[in-house]
Amino acid sequence: MTDGSLLAEAPNKSRPVGRRPAPEPVAPPTAEPEKASRPSERRPVVPTVLDFFPLQEARSTEVHSFFDNLKVGRFTTTRCRKDGQLLWPPRTMCPNCHDAELEWVDLPMRGRIYAFSAVLAGAPLGMESDVPFNVGLVDLDGVPLRLFGRIQGAPWTSLRIGQPVRVVPVPLEDGRVFYRFQVEDAPSPLPPG
Amino acid sequence: MSAQRRVAVVGGATTKFGVRSCTWSELVQEAGRALFAAVPALRAEEVDSLFVGAAQPERFAFQSHVAPLAAELLGVTPTRVLQRTELACASGQSAIRSAYAAIACGLSDVAVALGVEKMNLPSMAEAYTSMACVMDRAWDGSHGATAPPFFAMVAQRHMLEHGTTEEQLAAVSEKNHRFANSNPDAQFYDKVFSREKLLRLPIIAPPLRLGDSSSMTDGAAAVLLVAEEFVQRYSGTPAWIRGSGQHSSWHNLANSGSLTDWPGLRIAGKEALRSAGITAHDLDLAEVHDCFSISEIIEYEALGFCPPGQGGAYALDGRSSLGGEVVVNPRGGLLGCGHPLGATGIAQTVEVYRQFAQQVPRARQVPDANWALVHNLSGSANVHSLLVYERGG
Repeated sequence: MTDGSLLAEAPNKSRPVGRRPAPEPVAPPTAEPEKASRPSERRPVVPTVLDFFPLQEARSTEVHSFFDNLKVGRFTTTRCRKDGQLLWPPRTMCPNCHDAELEWVDLPMRGRIYAFSAVLAGAPLGMESDVPFNVGLVDLDGVPLRLFGRIQGAPWTSLRIGQPVRVVPVPLEDGRVFYRFQVEDAPSPLPPG
Repeated sequence: MSAQRRVAVVGGATTKFGVRSCTWSELVQEAGRALFAAVPALRAEEVDSLFVGAAQPERFAFQSHVAPLAAELLGVTPTRVLQRTELACASGQSAIRSAYAAIACGLSDVAVALGVEKMNLPSMAEAYTSMACVMDRAWDGSHGATAPPFFAMVAQRHMLEHGTTEEQLAAVSEKNHRFANSNPDAQFYDKVFSREKLLRLPIIAPPLRLGDSSSMTDGAAAVLLVAEEFVQRYSGTPAWIRGSGQHSSWHNLANSGSLTDWPGLRIAGKEALRSAGITAHDLDLAEVHDCFSISEIIEYEALGFCPPGQGGAYALDGRSSLGGEVVVNPRGGLLGCGHPLGATGIAQTVEVYRQFAQQVPRARQVPDANWALVHNLSGSANVHSLLVYERGG
């Protein structure tokens, strides 16, 4: 895999984690060469079985709009037109009324930390060089959503429950995008590419 | 439930748990050898069904279609039901639940439930990767969600809301490690952990320390379950399955709600006790899922052993140890024994059988044990599975 690290937080140190040093991940043979492809679509082939991040293009997922929106700085999800339920993560069926009439809505990009911890050891492949990193549950402002995610911009020792954070898109090395929470009083990371 | 046949566990055994120098298949063979030794009356041709609890053999051993592989290794040729069960950390109990259902409805008469996991790999980062896909991989796992940071947030909120202390967490771990010192099959059988030592171990996911977490463990275990008319052939001290409860509440962490109140466990626990016709006060021992010290504390509360918020004090005061109100995790728990995902639920059940049969060392023997509960949570405590057992014979 591309080791999953995010451009926005380039690893600046590498040390063994867990109970024994982790050797370099060995990529298994790739399943199927990309059908290919216009040059603009070429990207590193990631063995899906070891890739944490969602496949994001229209050929792979029906909720590609989430990622399309995220790339232009919008944080969105689906809402059921019938019963008004805000659904996370983006769905293709409302699990409450089983209707498929969903619409895209913008979510607040600010929230407050409900709980947090940090991964100091035992990180998965591709995340070893991120260690230590913070994770937490964040209550988004004004909507009944409490989302889990990385919290960047401060060491875990200075985080506190109730602390304001905002959602930031972060580009992945292979052209995909994901999101993290950024503590409010720290400078913004690189803008999405 | 009146039309169902009664079902009992009539014997079982485990392998040594730990960091083992052997393969997945060798663990299965070791558990099989131990099972046939523990139930001398059992002949392979009598086993009509086999349920294999295995959480991630594709990831840890690069092997799927594991039920027929296990059958071949055990030398059994199931003719009624052959299947693998997967429910992450509760995969082992799922095998027992499936065997119970098959026997109760008359499909099976004699079934083996075997659980196994080989978790220690040359690359532990690869093993941690597998653990992270237990969560909602794309949306939570991609942020680095594994069990330690999740249960760390549970502990953080419990400390905030109820004043639970690190010392109370250590009291759970110390108790379970102490019990594990009487269990030669436990991963930490020969390691002593005082509270002081536990409180000095490194933090792995604040506020949790290394000793608050169960381990990545290799191990296997197997039990024999039979219909009531076959019980006497195999055991004079059967453990009858009397009650059952299960609850699946959510999966994505966005739906976790309060981290400290586990309504799914309250509901499933109540149902398990109700269907057994008893209350929590009737339980003599409980094998509960202490994947983390904080888990056992919340389990006391959700199962009604103590009021909400008082689980930490319950542990510190020794009320869950020998001489207390209910002996919790006399086997040594997941903290002391290690946690090979597929094997854990089976090994807990082996302990119940042995406790009823008075086959365990005195250091952990629960006197006059008649009622026992086995609980497994899975994932991020979003699923709870429980069975209640009564001593027969």
